[in-house]
Amino acid sequence: MSKILQKLKKTDFQTIFPFLGLIAVLIFFEVSTGGRLFTGKNLKAVLNDGLYIIIGATGYAFMFAMGILDFSIGANMAVSCAAACLAAKINPLLAIPAAILTGMILSGVLGLIHVKAHVDAFITTLAGQFIFNGLVLIVLNNSIQQAPLSMLKWFTLPLKLVILAGGLAVGYMAFEHCVYGKTCKLIGSCEEAARQTGINVGRYKMCGFLTMGAIAGLLGFISLIRTGTASSQTGSTLMMNVLNAALLGGLPMSGGPTTKFRGVIIGSLTMAFLTSGMTIMGYNVNTQQLVKGLIFLIAISISFDRKNMKVIK
Amino acid sequence: MGEQGLLLKTEEMYKSFGITKALKGVGIELRRGQILGLIGENGSGKSTLTSIVAAIQPADSGKMYLEGQPYEPSDTMEANEKGICMILQEKGTFDALTVAKNIFVGKENLFCKKGILDNRAMNRAAQEALDAVGADYIRASMPLGALNFEDRKLVEVARAMYMKPKILIVDETTTALSRNGRDILYEIMKKMKKEGKSVIFISHDIDELMEICDTLTILRDGVYIDTLEKEKFDAGMIRKLMVGREVAENYYRSDCESSKNKEVVLSMDHVSARELKDITFELHKGEILGFGGLADCGMHILGSVAFGNIEPDLGRVLAGDGSIIASPRDAMGRKIAYISKNRDQESLMVASSIRDNICCASYNKLSQGPFLWPKAQDAFVDRWAGELEIKMQGLYQYVMELSGGNKQKVALAKWLGFGADIFILDCPTRGIDIGVKSNIYALMEELRSQGKSIILISEELPEVIGMSDRTIILKDGRISGEFKREDGLTETLLIDYMV
Repeated sequence: MSKILQKLKKTDFQTIFPFLGLIAVLIFFEVSTGGRLFTGKNLKAVLNDGLYIIIGATGYAFMFAMGILDFSIGANMAVSCAAACLAAKINPLLAIPAAILTGMILSGVLGLIHVKAHVDAFITTLAGQFIFNGLVLIVLNNSIQQAPLSMLKWFTLPLKLVILAGGLAVGYMAFEHCVYGKTCKLIGSCEEAARQTGINVGRYKMCGFLTMGAIAGLLGFISLIRTGTASSQTGSTLMMNVLNAALLGGLPMSGGPTTKFRGVIIGSLTMAFLTSGMTIMGYNVNTQQLVKGLIFLIAISISFDRKNMKVIK
Repeated sequence: MGEQGLLLKTEEMYKSFGITKALKGVGIELRRGQILGLIGENGSGKSTLTSIVAAIQPADSGKMYLEGQPYEPSDTMEANEKGICMILQEKGTFDALTVAKNIFVGKENLFCKKGILDNRAMNRAAQEALDAVGADYIRASMPLGALNFEDRKLVEVARAMYMKPKILIVDETTTALSRNGRDILYEIMKKMKKEGKSVIFISHDIDELMEICDTLTILRDGVYIDTLEKEKFDAGMIRKLMVGREVAENYYRSDCESSKNKEVVLSMDHVSARELKDITFELHKGEILGFGGLADCGMHILGSVAFGNIEPDLGRVLAGDGSIIASPRDAMGRKIAYISKNRDQESLMVASSIRDNICCASYNKLSQGPFLWPKAQDAFVDRWAGELEIKMQGLYQYVMELSGGNKQKVALAKWLGFGADIFILDCPTRGIDIGVKSNIYALMEELRSQGKSIILISEELPEVIGMSDRTIILKDGRISGEFKREDGLTETLLIDYMV
């Protein structure tokens, strides 16, 4: 017994907190939905929600590691989805490149402003969010656009699984076992020292923005083939879900070396189960946003290590 | 020691930072009218102990008595009121405020009338405080940012002295001060002693401590070792107590011939950057080129410019093959390494692990395609951390937990592992204890004998004289003199070129 206690003491609270969070969410909803959480139908819904969150959070992890918060991804996804929808009306196959390119261009512009004009990433992406929200209304002509119905057939279980597994595998390898991920963490740890170690910080940040944009575009495309429509509401919950996933996964706000990829997975799963749990219980999207906002505040007050920040800065 | 004269006493003080135990049951005693020197290597717990006395941080356990009464201050304000003031090792001032506001920070109420601050009265009182410590040339109404580092320290001294402390704690302040600044501080200490007040003085400079202090208390690894009275002071003995073994008296180079190799590996061609003006010099293969001068003479900028980190306004930095160095990337391509004076902010990622810090410059070598496997990194760190004998609990320990000397070793290991041929070392032994200091000097000699070149930038003249093949002195951003090793350099000679 004492040995277990000793081990517990040694285990970092930050490491086990995400697991506890996930387990708490699972137990809470399993009980309060009367055991409906793990039915086949619901697991499908979890997969659908989880796909956005996990893939989104995977891209976000690299930004997070560098200490960049991107608030524009949801709005970017909406614009990309709208662009994909317009392209699909010409030829459905054009939807994929249209979505990804749009995402990359939007995110790339924000990245350039941040890297070249030295505008704080927080400000840049917040402004980006508003601009993209306006942009999507213009592109969609203030209405909801319908994609060719044939595209709905593309949204199959194998496709979902391939994207999920592929995204996770590439994300994990790049984050934990590649020079790229390692360097992102170093930049988040101390940007000036990274620069004086010969790291081209600007290029890495651009890379982060472009990847994030491509992923927002991909998610826009997935949303299109899932719902068959593009609207201004597309992706409206993505930002909060991904940010929450990262925080619930124990990723530090300040970025740096303690950012772990398993946190991305655990946090995303927590958010996916939370979302579908609340859906089963009959909460509408607005109530869900309210709850997620509260969780965000709680998670940030627990995970944001002020004492540590003081040591670093 | 009679209880009568006892002013401050600590008993069984313990303090840990995470897994690092900074203090392990330390007890010290301070009498009235005593200047007590605290000495020990980095990480010995001197600063931790004194900052607990000054209530900057709480102890984990232990008791303190001030004039026989239990002393449990809750914050620095309370410590100040009880007559304990501390001048910190690191900068403790606000650049954007005026000198006067810095002196009275937290005490603005003294000059408030119905909620309105009387700036004029505050400036007057601040000027008096500055005059009182002999820094009358500093004007109280000036913004602090306009002062140089030394004068800022004196402002801190004035701030502490305004409180008329019974105990003044001076933490390694003198390393930042010139002779003039030191004299001001020594005068204050002597005056306090005369008035029956006490001083706790922390310094790495044994000669300075032996001259100023009445008593020396030696700490090692958070443990109280011994206390010596003035008549028993002996530099060799003190060193031995600090390190726990015999230390050679002289750790600089013993030869007096400069390197004769004329192959140029790095040069500056009429470079001007920030306060640097028209600098031209050549660094040769296999030599140690020393740069000396006052703290703000521009030599620290020079190191940064040579590494391509600061772009010159005019002129060029050239590698041996004539290619221009305009970024750290360029410099590293020419196998140039740089350790900044601000090591913890610029040369190390203190929030990252030892492993990441040592490997980060060598990912090109360690990776297989885009992949970076743990095995290659671990072996690399094992080798270089072993080579430099870094004291650590494991590869994954955070660099911020290490002592100054071991941090510097990590920075050196990173560049040795990288395979640098040219080392630009800015104050490589600043704030580092003698044990590691002599390691670093030995390493520099070894690198030199391997044909590598070193630019040594230092505010400590003995170090520059002791290690360099050639010495260049800067004054107000310009080169004011160049000397060879065999010229028989002395500090007095060089100081004439510095001021």
